[in-house]
Amino acid sequence: MRVVIAEDSLLLREGLVALLREHEVEVVAQAENGEGLLRIVGGHKPDLAIVDVRLPPTFTDEGIRAAVEARRRHPGLGVLILSQYVEPVYTAELLAGGEGGVGYLLKERVGDIPAFLDAIRRVAGGGTALDREVVAELVGERRNAPENPIDALSPREREVLSLMAEGRTNNAIAETLVVTPGAVEKHVSNIFGKLNLSAAGDDHRRVLAVLAFLRATDGG
Amino acid sequence: MRERLAAAAPWLARLARLTPRLPAQIAGGASLLCFVIWAITGAGSFWPAWVWISCALIIGLMVAWRWSRLAPPGPRRDLETQAAFSIVVWVYTVLNWAVGGGGSFWPVWVLIGFGIAFAVRLEWLRRQGADLRPNRERELTARVETLTETRRGALDVQAAELRRIERDLHDGAQARLVALSMQLGRAEEGLADRPEIAALVRQARAEATAANAELRDLARGIAPPVLSDRGLAAAVEALGTRSPVPVAVDAQLGRRAAPVVESAAYFVVAESLTNVAKHAPGARAEVTIREAGDTLDVVVADDGPGGADLTAGGGLDGLRRRVAALDGAFELASPAGEGTRIEVRLPCGS
Repeated sequence: MRVVIAEDSLLLREGLVALLREHEVEVVAQAENGEGLLRIVGGHKPDLAIVDVRLPPTFTDEGIRAAVEARRRHPGLGVLILSQYVEPVYTAELLAGGEGGVGYLLKERVGDIPAFLDAIRRVAGGGTALDREVVAELVGERRNAPENPIDALSPREREVLSLMAEGRTNNAIAETLVVTPGAVEKHVSNIFGKLNLSAAGDDHRRVLAVLAFLRATDGG
Repeated sequence: MRERLAAAAPWLARLARLTPRLPAQIAGGASLLCFVIWAITGAGSFWPAWVWISCALIIGLMVAWRWSRLAPPGPRRDLETQAAFSIVVWVYTVLNWAVGGGGSFWPVWVLIGFGIAFAVRLEWLRRQGADLRPNRERELTARVETLTETRRGALDVQAAELRRIERDLHDGAQARLVALSMQLGRAEEGLADRPEIAALVRQARAEATAANAELRDLARGIAPPVLSDRGLAAAVEALGTRSPVPVAVDAQLGRRAAPVVESAAYFVVAESLTNVAKHAPGARAEVTIREAGDTLDVVVADDGPGGADLTAGGGLDGLRRRVAALDGAFELASPAGEGTRIEVRLPCGS
């Protein structure tokens, strides 16, 4: 897997590079700002770009803008955003444009190395990896909204829905919840039935369907 | 900059406030242009000085006129107007004398002439029994202007300072904690054959993650990233999306207000929507934000049970005080059974 990194903090960039090299992930180029990211993505055609949200010169949402632009220019490029905070607005913008994998994780998740490597592989392979805080913003705390179809889900189904929205496969969900893959499949088909979603398609499409549904019910 | 000037030399700041902006810019531009032309055409005798002092005369007369109009009409104002114009014209004659190469100091005759005219007018007004006491109102106006400007300055400085702290946290402590998590993660991997120590390292990583989460909450309380990055309209849209009650947001803003105003408006909406979710969970809310001239109008209305009040020390009271600190207006209407409506008007300043 060939990866580029856009991160302005030397400390974090070097830590990330060392960590990835230890696990045979090839870091082909690094950038310190949004323009640099677009340049190295164009030059190296990587499988995945790992991007910090706050980059020079504006130190605001430079990274998100650059990532959206990189995805537009290079369809199929996987983009994994690493940030100190979750911002659902930015997640929505990333998911809205282009094909190719998308991820949005809090930076400290990098410390859980197996999970982080799993997320990298998923996104590079065209899948999704959303931080559980992003998903919680989308799924949780909506009990007061009238007629929210999510209310019809059992607590277990809600758990499965959250894990699906994070981008996990049935097998990974089964492992996390310590149940059989068959049980997860049953939950999934129940969820899709209750939410009136068509259950066809691969994992990535399934995630997109779930996220589209969650966003549509956002705030009523 | 202007606040610092106001604090250091109030009279200079007042002078700057009295200077009409457009004419001053035109005069400055013309002066510069003349200088450039003079420099290009071989720098002969320094004629641009004549243009400069003429410009200075015009601007000076305008400033004198605007200054005199600060006072209420009356004999004292007439007298002050005369004095101000005399001073400006006399300074002009002195400049004329200086640019014209000095020689005998003829402006002294102009000064004597103005002095006599002033004395005659003063004596004449006295005989008529006019009230010539100094004007308290104008002093107070000046004082209020200075206070408003310095208070606003203090608030702006405070807002900028808070955002700097947030940025320092982000680039400093938070970045170090992330690096720490990464290193602990790598250490944990190397300890596969020592599970009890690996468990300790994992715990340490969990502590680092928790510390980072606390810092993140702190930073969000100062200024949510989307507010700094995208401005008030986007931040309020995001608030509406996040709220557990249905919220219709209508925010149309052309330009960004000062950070202190943006923050105040943002927290008005955030606190109000939290209140709706807490006290009127079945309600719908509407948020409207509009620029109206030099003010920003924020309205949050819901169709809940109403009955909200401004308990001292409560959330709404905190908002009211925050708005008052910016010289804004805060109105709460919450009759029982008819929903709650909070209207805030914030001056944007310039």
